[in-house]
Amino acid sequence: MGRHLTMTRLRRLSQALFLLLFLWLFLQTESQGANELGYPVKIFLDADPLLWITTALASRSFYGAFALALTVIVATILLGRIFCGWICPLGTLHQLAGKLKRERSAARRKGGGSITVVRLLEGLRGRRNAVSRRHNSVTGAGSTGSRQETTAGIEVPRRRVRNWGQYRIKYLLLVFILVLSMLGVQAAGLFDPLTLLIRSLSLSVYPFLSYALRSIFTMLYEWHIPLVSSGAEVVYELLKRSVLPFSQPLFFQGTAIGLLFFALLALNLRESRFWCKYLCPLGALLGLLSRFALLKRSVSEGCNDCGRCRRECQGGAIGAKGAEWVAAECLYCFNCDDPCPQHAVSFGFSSRPASFSLDLGRRRVLGAAVAGALTAPLLRITPLARAGAAEPTLIRPPGALAEEEFLKRCVRCGECMKVCITGGLQPTLLEAGLEGIWTPVLVPRIGCCEYRCTLCGQVCPTGAIGRLGLREKAATKIGLAMIDKGRCLPFAHDMSCIVCEEVCPTSPKAIWLEEVRVRDRRGREMLLKQPHVDLELCVGCGICENKCPVLGRPAITVTSLGESRSRDNQLLLVP
Amino acid sequence: MNRRDFIKQAVLSGAALALPLGADSLRSLAEAAGRPDLAVARGVPPARITRAAVAELGGMGRFVSRGDIVVVKPNIGWDRTPEYAANTNPEVVAELVRLCYEAGAKRVKVFDFPVNDARRTYRQSGIAAAATAAGAQVSYIDDRKFKDTALRGQLLKSWPLYTEILAADKVINVPIAKVHGIATLTLGMKNWMGVMGGWRGRIHQRIDESLVDIARVIRPSLIVLDAVRILVDNGPQGGSLADVRRLDTVIAGTDQVAVDAFGTTLFGMKADTLGCVRIGHRAGLGNMDLSRLLIKRVRV
Repeated sequence: MGRHLTMTRLRRLSQALFLLLFLWLFLQTESQGANELGYPVKIFLDADPLLWITTALASRSFYGAFALALTVIVATILLGRIFCGWICPLGTLHQLAGKLKRERSAARRKGGGSITVVRLLEGLRGRRNAVSRRHNSVTGAGSTGSRQETTAGIEVPRRRVRNWGQYRIKYLLLVFILVLSMLGVQAAGLFDPLTLLIRSLSLSVYPFLSYALRSIFTMLYEWHIPLVSSGAEVVYELLKRSVLPFSQPLFFQGTAIGLLFFALLALNLRESRFWCKYLCPLGALLGLLSRFALLKRSVSEGCNDCGRCRRECQGGAIGAKGAEWVAAECLYCFNCDDPCPQHAVSFGFSSRPASFSLDLGRRRVLGAAVAGALTAPLLRITPLARAGAAEPTLIRPPGALAEEEFLKRCVRCGECMKVCITGGLQPTLLEAGLEGIWTPVLVPRIGCCEYRCTLCGQVCPTGAIGRLGLREKAATKIGLAMIDKGRCLPFAHDMSCIVCEEVCPTSPKAIWLEEVRVRDRRGREMLLKQPHVDLELCVGCGICENKCPVLGRPAITVTSLGESRSRDNQLLLVP
Repeated sequence: MNRRDFIKQAVLSGAALALPLGADSLRSLAEAAGRPDLAVARGVPPARITRAAVAELGGMGRFVSRGDIVVVKPNIGWDRTPEYAANTNPEVVAELVRLCYEAGAKRVKVFDFPVNDARRTYRQSGIAAAATAAGAQVSYIDDRKFKDTALRGQLLKSWPLYTEILAADKVINVPIAKVHGIATLTLGMKNWMGVMGGWRGRIHQRIDESLVDIARVIRPSLIVLDAVRILVDNGPQGGSLADVRRLDTVIAGTDQVAVDAFGTTLFGMKADTLGCVRIGHRAGLGNMDLSRLLIKRVRV
């Protein structure tokens, strides 16, 4: 008993530590003023085999640090999906959210009711006999041999019959994603649990919590209540030094991305770890790898099919009978081990094949593959890729690869947007086509590209944004600024203004002032300085647009034209 | 003005200003007449000339009283290291902080509202580290602390200003001397942009009147103009060491107009070429007539 207890305790400890490490690294993904962050903030992404495999397939190249991803792969082959059960921070969050459901599910067990979402998914024609005995189906492609009715049709009183059909969804999603990546479309990032989590936290949850906290403390500050306000300020100062962001992050689509994230968490109220069981493509990949895992669950003769292990199982890997165990779905939480009244469950290393595996169905796998193959060209029928038709507002971060290569690598984790020192990096909606949704775009009006900052390239996990040295950064154009003489104060309104020139960071300045004599309405002669942009010196950082006092539609704006990464999107004869 | 002209003029004006210093008669005259209007200290290191310049004005005890909360306001506007002369010299700032504490200040606060990212400017400028080491409370700007302030100026009736500077017992302005735009400079009064909130870029439409209006409200006890390094081109943020001149000088005074007027001479200009000096003089904020000022020079 003591040993078993230790395993679940160890697992919980591991989950807590990895979640804390993840959150701590998340908080460290912020400038402290130096040019380096000082912490390996992207190690969770580095350890993600799905991102590694799909990026390698899509870009047809191996990039940077994949030792961690390989470690996870090897660990999964040996020990099964311990990543899901012991490490994955999103999995831990789902499990915690699932705790909220526990009381309700106990009530439901008494009533014997079934689950709406499960029924909904049954509507997708998941067949109940999708679990086949290993000797019938080894590869997962359905064999035509006779299937033993292991779960189907057996109505056990007070026990919900597990519907194995839904488990296929994540595998089919994985096939879809893999086929897309083979065709050069990086779609894994949209569904990968780690990118999903970092993106949701960065663009939505963290800004939302920060906004809420700041509002409360600002309110207390402005009320000037004796003792309370000053006490609140002390707490606020502590929070600012520990968990609050340096400045309030604000992102386009933050609300929508947050709603999506909370909706996924809410699914745990239907069924704990809903995401992990049915949707997660990384879980599916690790599930495939863990089919032959050496660490196996075994059930002794003493099992009386009481169903206790089945209810405690986080991955939903146990069938109607206690001995039915699908290795690919097991998260190695060891929950089945401890509470077994008969002490019948044990885990141990064994090389004999597991007795149960999921049958994905050849036609379904083929269907998912075909869907992927068809989706790739469907995503690509946009004129944006044509020479000369580049989207002018699509200003990519400095060091970003050429658009086609960039899209093959960007996994939409949002790290670059999180770390962006001015908050100018925003998620795209359709500026880069549907294929490029949630990729980073610089919106100078919100924040410029800080001239001597190279953080986005440092945190990019896949090399979509290259790591630049300061010298390279200074020579990298992300676009060009141009002046709207119809709005610029010294041109259009005979008013003096030198802001764009003042803030221009290059040396010598790309914006220069020409002294001109003009006459005002009354005929009085006056001396004005009119700005001009030297296109050879301009790097498109956008600080001029950001600080231009002509609000709304600034008198100087940056477009992607002239960006170093593009061969076609150029203006100068010799860029 | 090209570089050669600048050097020529800088040397000439420097020499001209240095001449009367040797005369003992003038020095005794100065002492007889009371404190000098401006103290100009040259030498190394920056901390020593800062201390020397303040001492010539009568020491920090003249400006800071026991128990005072003092704001020392440097220019930390840009993401540049000290050798690029875009921000106030950190040693000058730190020495002023030390002087304030020696004079009995209760707390010395250092902050600025930078143009570049505050974290980067505070760090790269070296000011956050140096001032903290000297015991100052270095803080980032807190948006909540801008309050619309009545200026009753010639141009600006009100503007959001940083309340910490208005609430301080004493304010010390520590700007750096730099060129800004064509043929204009950023000296002491321009440094008040760093306590302005709102969309401050708008003041460039009539910057000189605006600066004088702000300067009339803030009224520093002491101004120490850092000319250890000055930026002579591509201002106000520079970016090339070729645009930096090393003068190893600080100028201290209590008259905002006089300090800026003297600052123009560092660049070989005449005091009245700078609009805010001219307007400040006319408005009675101070005296730009250098010939009527008592200027004390020391070499360290």
